[in-house]
Parts: sequence; C-alpha cells; structure tokens
Amino acid sequence: MTAVYALYTTGDAAQRAVNSLRAAGYADRDITIISAAPMEDYEFSHIGRESYVWYFATGGAILGFLVATWLTMFTENAWPINVGNMPIVAWYPNLIVMFEMTMLGAIISTVVTLIITAGLGRRMPKLYDPEVTLGKILVGVAAPGDARMADVERALLAAPGAELKTV
Amino acid sequence: MSANEDRLSATLLRPLGRSGVLWYAFVAFLGTIVAAGLFAWFFQMWRGFGVTGIRWPVYWGFLITDFVFWIGISHAGTLISAILRLVNAGWRRPVTRCAEVITAFALMIGGLFPIIHLGKPWLFFWLVPYPNQRLIWPNFRSPLVWDFFAISTYLTGSLLFLFLPMIPDFALVRDRSTGMTKKIYGLLALGWRGTTGQWHRLEVAMQIMAIAIIPVAVSVHTIVSFDFSMAPVPMWHSTIFGPYFVAGAIFSGIAGLIIAMAALRSVLKLHEYLQPIHFENLGKLLLTMSLLWGYFTFNERLTAWYGNGTSEINTFQVTQGGSFAPLFWTMVLVNFVLPILILGIRRFRTITGCVIASIGIVIGMWLERYLIVVPSLAHKYLPYSWGTYSPRPTEILITVATFAAMILLYTLFAKFIPIISIWEMRAGEHPAEDLIAAAERRRLGETHA
Amino acid sequence: MAHRWGMAVDLDRCTGCGACVTACHAENNIPTVGELQASRGRAMHWIRVERYFEGEFPEVSMKYRPVMCQQCDAAPCEPVCPTYASHHSEETGLNAQIYNRCIGTRYCANACPYNVRFFDFFNPVWDKPLHLQLNPDVSIREVGVMEKCTFCVQRITAATITAEAEKREVKDGEVKPACVQSCPSKALVFGDLADPESEVSRLAESPRGSKLLEDLGTAPKVTYLQGVEHA
Repeated sequence: MTAVYALYTTGDAAQRAVNSLRAAGYADRDITIISAAPMEDYEFSHIGRESYVWYFATGGAILGFLVATWLTMFTENAWPINVGNMPIVAWYPNLIVMFEMTMLGAIISTVVTLIITAGLGRRMPKLYDPEVTLGKILVGVAAPGDARMADVERALLAAPGAELKTV
Repeated sequence: MSANEDRLSATLLRPLGRSGVLWYAFVAFLGTIVAAGLFAWFFQMWRGFGVTGIRWPVYWGFLITDFVFWIGISHAGTLISAILRLVNAGWRRPVTRCAEVITAFALMIGGLFPIIHLGKPWLFFWLVPYPNQRLIWPNFRSPLVWDFFAISTYLTGSLLFLFLPMIPDFALVRDRSTGMTKKIYGLLALGWRGTTGQWHRLEVAMQIMAIAIIPVAVSVHTIVSFDFSMAPVPMWHSTIFGPYFVAGAIFSGIAGLIIAMAALRSVLKLHEYLQPIHFENLGKLLLTMSLLWGYFTFNERLTAWYGNGTSEINTFQVTQGGSFAPLFWTMVLVNFVLPILILGIRRFRTITGCVIASIGIVIGMWLERYLIVVPSLAHKYLPYSWGTYSPRPTEILITVATFAAMILLYTLFAKFIPIISIWEMRAGEHPAEDLIAAAERRRLGETHA
Repeated sequence: MAHRWGMAVDLDRCTGCGACVTACHAENNIPTVGELQASRGRAMHWIRVERYFEGEFPEVSMKYRPVMCQQCDAAPCEPVCPTYASHHSEETGLNAQIYNRCIGTRYCANACPYNVRFFDFFNPVWDKPLHLQLNPDVSIREVGVMEKCTFCVQRITAATITAEAEKREVKDGEVKPACVQSCPSKALVFGDLADPESEVSRLAESPRGSKLLEDLGTAPKVTYLQGVEHA
C-alpha cells in the first residue's frame, strides 16, 4: 500500500495542505503531519491533542504511594526492632519514603505512557521522509487506496511549494 | 528558513563529527586522573579504610563533603530546565540540555559516594529493601535509607528528563548518518517520526516531568541535609538545614552551569547560541542565590552565637576565629562578597565576570560542606574527645578524580549528542520574526544593543 | 524477667590507674593499634579514662572520669543505622551492636554524643604469642565495622544461662564486666537496674549521682557519683 505525501518549506503551506485535505473529505486522524519541531503556532499541530497522560501519571503516583505505605509498614512490623525508643511503625520517616515513591510512580508511569501512546520502540511506519530533519514539513495520507490517490495529490498540490512523493 | 535550519543543525552537529588530536589528548588526560581516583578507591578497599584521614571522633570527612557537594551541583538542571520550562522563559532553550547533563552526571558521581565511604562498600546493597535470606529489612528510620530512595528517584527522574527531549535529536542524527552510526542512533531514537500526536505527547510528558522533578529535587537535598540534622551534634541539629542545603545546592548548581556553558561556548564555538544575555540572566539568578545564601548563613550563625549553648559556642568559635577560621572567611569572601561585587555591578557582569564568580562559588560551596561536616564532629560535647582531621592522599585523589570524571563525562556527552537541543531551538524560532516586537526579541536571546 | 543492666561510677574513688582499660582490651579482644595509628587517632578504648585538669599551678588537681558506652535507653546511635546493626535489646536493655550487619557508614559514631563508638580501620593484628590470649567468647571484628563497649555481654549471657539452668535469678554482683572486676578501688559497680534491691539501683538514687549529658535526652544507664562541695 502506497502512502502519498508532500514536503513543504513553510508552516503556512502545510496548513493550507491540511485544509485542502480536509476539504477533500479526509478526517483529521487519517492525515499524517510530520515536522522536526512542534509547530505550536499553527492549527494543525493541535490535531490529536487529547491524551490521558495526566490520568496515568496520577494513577502511577497513587500506586507508588500505596506501595511505599505497604513496604514501610509491612517491613517495620515484620521485624519489630527497638531503635532509640522510636515507635515500631514510625510515620515521620515513613512519610519521606512514601513521598519519594509517589513521585517515582508518577515519573515512571508518565514515561511508560508516553512510550506506549507515542508508538515508540516499535517498527517505524513507512510514511516518513528524512528530509523532515532539514526543517521541511510532511503532510500526507498513509493509505488512500488507488481510487482516491488522485484526490489526495490534487489536495496536496493546492498548497505552494509542494514536493509530491509516494512511498 | 531552510538556510537558517541548515546552519542550526550544522553548527550543533559539528562536534559529533571528527575530532582533533587535542580532543583525544584531553580525554586521555582526564581518563588518567579518573583511573588514578579509581585506583585510590580500590586501594582503600583492599588495604582498609585506615588509609584515609578519618579518625576518632571525625568519622566523616572529605568523602562526605564530596557527596553533599556533588548532589548540590546536580540541582542546576532542575532549576533551569524544569522551572524555566514551567514559567515559559524562552531564553532557557539553548541552556536546558547543558543543565540537565550536569544534573545527570553530578548525581551519578554524588550517588557513588555513599558507597565509597562505607567501611564495607561491597555490602551497599543491604540498603535496598528486597526480600532476602538475611531475614531483615533496611531501617526506614535511618536518614541513609531516605538518601537511597531520594537519590534513586531523583536520578531516575533526571535521566528520563534528560533522555526524553533527546529522542527527536537522536532521530535527526539517525537521518543524517549511515551504517553503524545510523543503527545506534536509530535504536536510541525509538522509531521517532515527529508526528503531531508524538510531539504533543512528548510535550505533555515533559510538562508532567518538570512538575514532578521540582519537588523531588527539593526533597533530595533536604534529605541529604537530614543526614546531619537528625544527629545530636552541635551545630548540626538545626532546623534550618533543609532550606539551607537546598538554597546552597541551587546556588552551586547555577555556578557549575555557568562554567560549563562558558567552556562549551568557547570550545565548540557556540557564540551564536550561548549569548551574553544568557550569562547575564544566569548571573542575576546567581546573585539572588548568593544573597539568599548569605541570609541563611547569617540566620544559622546568629542563632548559634546568641543562644550561647555550651557545645554550640565551641563549634561556632572554632570556625569564626579558631583553626577553621581561614577556610570560613575564604568561604564568605568567595560565596558572598565577590559575587555581590562582580554580579551586582553591571559593568562586571560579563561572561568572564560570571565565570570568575562561579569558580569562586564552586570552591566556596565545597568549603561550606567541609565546614559543616568537620568542625562539628571535631568538637562535640565532651572536650576530652575533641579531635582534628586532615585528609590523606586517598581522599584527595578521589576528590580530584570526581572533578575530572565530571569534565570527562561532559566532554564525551558533547561529542556524541548535540549539547544544545536542536528541536527546542527550532521550536523557539517560531513565530516568524516580524510578528514579535523588538523588545520581545531581545528577551528571547539576542545580544545587548 | 527482662533485665536493665546498668553501671555506677564513683568518681571520688577513681584513681585514674587505667586497669579498667587494660582489662577491657584483654577481655574483648580489642587490638592495640600501634604507635603510628594511635597517633592518627585510631586507638580503640571501649572504656577510656578522661583526664581533666582543674585550677592553676600550683593549686592543680586532676579529675578522672572513666567513660564507656552509656547503653542509652533512647540511644541516638540506633535510629540512624541503616541496617539495624545498632539496636536496642529488649532482654538486656543494652544497645546491641551486630558486627555482621554493620556496613560501616559510621553514622552511629557521629550521632553518639559520648564518642564511645569505634571503627575498625584495619584488620586486627596480634603479634605472636599474644594471639594465644584471645578470649574465645568474643568475636574478632574485621575491618570496616563499628564496635563499642557491650557491658561484657558475653559474661552477662553466661550468667543468665547458668542461672536459668539452675532455675534461679541472677544474683546481684554475680556478673562483673572486666572493668568492674579489675578496678582496684572498686569505683565501678555493675548490676541490674530492674532489680530495686541491687547495689547499682541504690547508687542510681544517690544524692551524689548524676548522668553524663543528661539534658540531651539520651537516657543513659550509667550514674556518675561525685561528692559536691557546698560553700
């Protein structure tokens, strides 16, 4: 299955291309836009904005908190040893360990969520062009099918400076 | 824009190419010093801890000083990278990776010291809580166990905080190289393409990490300070230690960062990206931290002097006018007096001025740690048990080797990975120039008019 | 019955002779570190005789104070040990040091206000034939661990086991640590503070008694007796 895409030199042109692809009937999630930096000033960078990373991070934090609470309480009760006349389950020191593991839980779950949802660590999909690293922006459709190929090409060429390619 | 782009990545990728003989010679020189330090440590383990200068009653000396010092230096990255990222300060862009690298390596070096200073270093893993056949768990009431959790959390967080924004740059190098280099950087890039979804998720992850790493950084050095404040030792058992240490850590961290940036600027010819405005801004931050350090030091010493506790006043006097006085007053000079003069007077707040102040501060902060550890232990409650301490070659060699290790790791990093984050610079170049007023342009990082 | 072993030191009887120090070395297999290491502050005297001068010449007097581990009830050396090597023993009320658990962080020594904890800087060496004199009841400490006075816990344990076998209580004065046994002026008294009839309990209540660094809140179990002159 071939993917069709075009490289543009300005964010403006890329935006135009995205708009014409939308006019041609393509949903946002079928349009692939690849750039060498996040292009926050243009509307197209906000596609796919929703993410649940925050929930996962909070979940990881709660998990870390519970693990630390269990670890400190369980180990202190498993081997109750008197040190300096301190209580067997000493909450002040336990809070310190609980804080650290809470933050560790948040950090690790954030990174794991990122890697999974961004598709990192997997085989790179075909739709890519190394020229993106020179600063060009890639706009394309992954698998338009033979019938709609012409539509896509027309939409992409509508924006200025397009270098049309297939892969 | 293409020409600009090419120049940006061309300049920042140049160090990854061929290096001259001088680079190899420099790395070999540093490597020798590091090897000597490792040899000193193995000698200490083989011959016995007695080869150091540690003695009754001063059981902690140079090695613990180094520990606190390097953990302190590691706070550079957190302040610059995380805090400036959260307040959206544009001038941070060329500086973030430099700072995060310092954090990562300083933490690795500092985290070695709790192992190096042990009487039986091969048993350090007994601090890890895992089910074992010794049928005992670590003591969660001990500040050293808190240290273990804090430093491992901070190290994990910092390494991830450093690694995540490197992924797009690894992809860049992957796409510009061939053969084995392409394979290695391809692995590191984890298949990054740069789709809008990926960028968005990366930015959110960085945001969360920035928010998470700041309290961790504060807690780490507070917990390191608890190693002292939890013990009933004159002038250790002070409630101010937590904030004092954190402020001191940020202070020494920024100083370390300024030195690193100045070195990179001249060696890698990064004059276009590390501009005087960056040093100016960091210099002002450093001045603020210097004043804050002075404030905390005055607080601590006024309380000790005014309170006139029998044992505290002895320890106080020995730093004020006794045997440790030369070190103490040197510290005040380089941590407080000189920085205020150099960084407070606009004419002197040049790159050279900032570097001179920073070198003084690095020395001064090392002295501060030493003056916290040793005089108090040498003058505890019973005068018969007062003592002295002087370091012996083993400790001195290990200390020097850590500085060499830091420079070596930094040099190697700059060789293999772009030291300025290329995609962040690109992201900072937008919007187009004509859309920002001249004042804003100056703030974002151009030279003074 | 849980014991609380404690001591009383009569400073008015102490002559500063140092027999207690020598006896302790002999009983507990404490090595002499040699002149060089002693000059470097590595001497390990589990009990030491502190000497202070009072007054100006020619009206000088010397004060002697034997200091050993105070076996504090709220010992600051215990919570700071990451491996529970330093902990409180419920059966004896002593601060126990487990050499096998010690990894040598030396935090306990820093936390101890009395500076009675010692670190093994090197492996111990006994020149022949002194190795024949080693006490088999006491383990040899290797390099890298902390050690301190144990109130001769090996003697306490031996007496406790014997008493249990004979189905009786340990008698007051039956257990004598090496220092107590060797003091020529009987300045050191050892006994069970949990037994209100023992001599050490009686001396702990004495008006001549005080505790060392009591205001630090360590709750030491050694009472120092000294006659106070009233004007």
